[in-house]
Amino acid sequence: MAERRIERRIEREDVDAFAAGAAVLGAGGGGDVRVGAHLLRHLLADRSLRLVPAADLAPDGIVVHTGAVGSPDVISERLLSPVDLARAAAAVAEQVMGPIRAAAAFEIGGLNALVGAIGAIELGLPFVDGDLMGRAFPRLTQNTLALNGVAPVPLAVASPAGDVVVVPLMGPRAVEPILAGITAGMGGAASVAGYPIAAGDLDRMGVRGSVSACIELGRRFLAARSAALPVLIADLGARLHGVGRVEEIVPRSSDAPGTLTVIDGGDGAVVRVDHQEEFLATTVDGVPGALTPDVVAVLDNRSRRPLQVEEVRVGQAVVVCSLPALHAWPESARHLVGPSAFGLVETEER
Amino acid sequence: MDRVLRLGIDVGGTNTDAVLLAGDTVVASAKEASTADVTTGIARAISAVVASRPGLAREVAAVMIGTTHFLNALVDGSHLAPTAVIRLGLPAAAAVPPLSGWPERLRASVGGHVFLCHGGHEYDGRLIAPFDPAEFRAALDAAHHAGARSYAISSVFSPVAPDLELAAAQILAEELPDAPVSLSHEIGTLGLLERENATAINAALRELAERVTDGLVAAVRAARVDAPIFLSSNDGALMGVEYARRFPVTTLASGPANSMRGAAVLAGRSTCTVIDVGGTTVDIGVLEQGYPREAPDDVSVALVPTNVRMPDVISLSFGGGSVVGGSAERPTLGPRSVGLRLRQDALVFGGDVLTATDIAVAAGRCDLGDRSLTRGVPRPLVDAVLGGVRQSVADAVDRMRLSVDPVTAVVVGGGGAIVPDDLPEVAEVLRPDHHEVANAVGAAVARVSGEVDRVVTVTGTGARDAVEAAAQEAVDRAIAAGARPSTVQVVDTVRLPLNYLPGEAYRVRVKAVGELALQDPPPELRHG
Repeated sequence: MAERRIERRIEREDVDAFAAGAAVLGAGGGGDVRVGAHLLRHLLADRSLRLVPAADLAPDGIVVHTGAVGSPDVISERLLSPVDLARAAAAVAEQVMGPIRAAAAFEIGGLNALVGAIGAIELGLPFVDGDLMGRAFPRLTQNTLALNGVAPVPLAVASPAGDVVVVPLMGPRAVEPILAGITAGMGGAASVAGYPIAAGDLDRMGVRGSVSACIELGRRFLAARSAALPVLIADLGARLHGVGRVEEIVPRSSDAPGTLTVIDGGDGAVVRVDHQEEFLATTVDGVPGALTPDVVAVLDNRSRRPLQVEEVRVGQAVVVCSLPALHAWPESARHLVGPSAFGLVETEER
Repeated sequence: MDRVLRLGIDVGGTNTDAVLLAGDTVVASAKEASTADVTTGIARAISAVVASRPGLAREVAAVMIGTTHFLNALVDGSHLAPTAVIRLGLPAAAAVPPLSGWPERLRASVGGHVFLCHGGHEYDGRLIAPFDPAEFRAALDAAHHAGARSYAISSVFSPVAPDLELAAAQILAEELPDAPVSLSHEIGTLGLLERENATAINAALRELAERVTDGLVAAVRAARVDAPIFLSSNDGALMGVEYARRFPVTTLASGPANSMRGAAVLAGRSTCTVIDVGGTTVDIGVLEQGYPREAPDDVSVALVPTNVRMPDVISLSFGGGSVVGGSAERPTLGPRSVGLRLRQDALVFGGDVLTATDIAVAAGRCDLGDRSLTRGVPRPLVDAVLGGVRQSVADAVDRMRLSVDPVTAVVVGGGGAIVPDDLPEVAEVLRPDHHEVANAVGAAVARVSGEVDRVVTVTGTGARDAVEAAAQEAVDRAIAAGARPSTVQVVDTVRLPLNYLPGEAYRVRVKAVGELALQDPPPELRHG
């Protein structure tokens, strides 16, 4: 039986660490955490947010997930709206015909880690200490519930203009195109709520403890950010694949991943990083290194900020490293989160 | 009368420096104490350099001034205009109001008058909501009655569609014809909060900019110099006085930019690392092809996040006046500094504080004051402090390096002696003559730039055309700012796709740079 735990809360002073951890786990995708950090700081000025493991909730209590979908550039202009997140969640609650007991984040990497917390604050609900990915992934359905055959429906999407679209049913293959269509109609970004699930099932199928783990990772990152690189890498529990200058960038196309080529400043090794929306894999002088679902992070070597894929410039001094996702993805999930899910050809074992 | 001389002036918190340059050669230089009214110090510094030969004042072709006035005002929260920030974006963009995340003291200094109105655009140019002139007038009225004197307007997606900001400015001009207006699409790029912050900072500095530019012009004229006057901007390029009055936010980082450009010119290098050693800090930056490298990230100004582009600088918290503490095993240096009192407090000047300068003198690295007064300083401590400085500077230089190529480092500034000649991983360390007035030299050798940064939504081959149009416009802007047309070149072109959007939207950014046309200033600059 569960022992009594000390209640955890997310306070305003945790936001920097939360955002830093989420940025690392974003693996170069997942949107820019800064706009979420601004809003979360603003919301936590006069309150704090209760963080609960799914196991501590009544097993049949419903948890709903909230997040943002669409273009990071649109979000950086229109900002995020807690009201829209709550509106989407309310539309889902209406579909499941029962009260929602807690709110959760779809993913712990990138902007949506923070958006999940923002949704919980606006709904006045506790925030689940967990997520569905253990990092960021580009598609809503690349998660542990989908692996168990759970669909994201009923799902609702809300726009700042007050539009709400409810999707009671959709098959796994239809999710992405339907979401993209709705988002385009809403100006390129929107708030989404979905995957309503009983807390007991979420505890069994979700990723446990990832919010606290993300904040802890962010704390270690901020503490070691200005330290010598080996110290930072060790404190993050990461592997270093290379430090050097970006020699070439091949952008991704609709049918093939892109690559960054980094020449290591120390031994001249050629470090290749494959990417789609996220960094997916590394090779050093042709020898395979890290591979999705492990998190590949590219840091600016000057500011040590984790970079988004589209922020990297030729000539930039970067650090290429990797760390495990906050979820031990099983071999059976390879088709969902492994290299083949991103159009990467697997050459050999890594 | 052939006018060929450039007069560079650097107004710092401590000293006001002036240099006269013929080409890249220093003809005369002077250092005067800065004065509370600023203009007296400038007039003295100019007089000191032009007095070296009769008639010299009439040979000055252009005056370039770098000043820290505006940055100091922000850091101190002083001389700021009560500012209203009006955002057009409802029903979207309301969750984080303007000025959120500003330090409380600075927010109070600018008055904290914020308003949200309907308006804004989507990325493809559709309206989020129609602009409501009555609602906007009501906001203006409330702001005016609350005491606002300067106005910042931000509209969602204005870098794509500036029309609502322009419509708002039109109404402002009717209602409050004398109030300065700052529009966000003229100041920043995508990223509403950072662009709006930069616009609010600009608005808060507008009244000071009027006073400062008037004072600068008066000081130059009082010294009988009648050449056109320019101010240095964040990238080290020049802008006319009128432009600086409207966009003071573009002067905030001119100090480090000028010191880097000056160091490079004095050392005869266009690509190098610059180590500027002041009394309390060491600033390390990189010059590429004669221009300071830009910071890779948005830069915070006085702890406010903005997306104004700034030079990439690492600041170390020690300098020539820093206080030495601890033991040879664990020495400490800074962040406490004797600052302006170095010549009273340091051991070599008969004081009783052990400073970094004393360590440099004790080690025989420079000759200041009375070296015998450092006899009591244990040699192991001297070695440990110098070793610590060497290691910290070398680490920063290494973090700033872009390639495996050997680095040339140029050391400038009054405290340069604390940096050794043998830095690990640095091929050569240069200490050029006149390094103590590098900032003023940097101001004087600056070029003129024109920049375009906008978002375009295009189809098919439109992206290439959009880049070409932007390049032409950047060239035109550089010429309008006073560049000689035959010298203008496009130095930087960036085209970035905006991801995850239907259709094709790009951010297009082009920069053109040219030499200042010395003989024939454009008409709008003839009267300074």
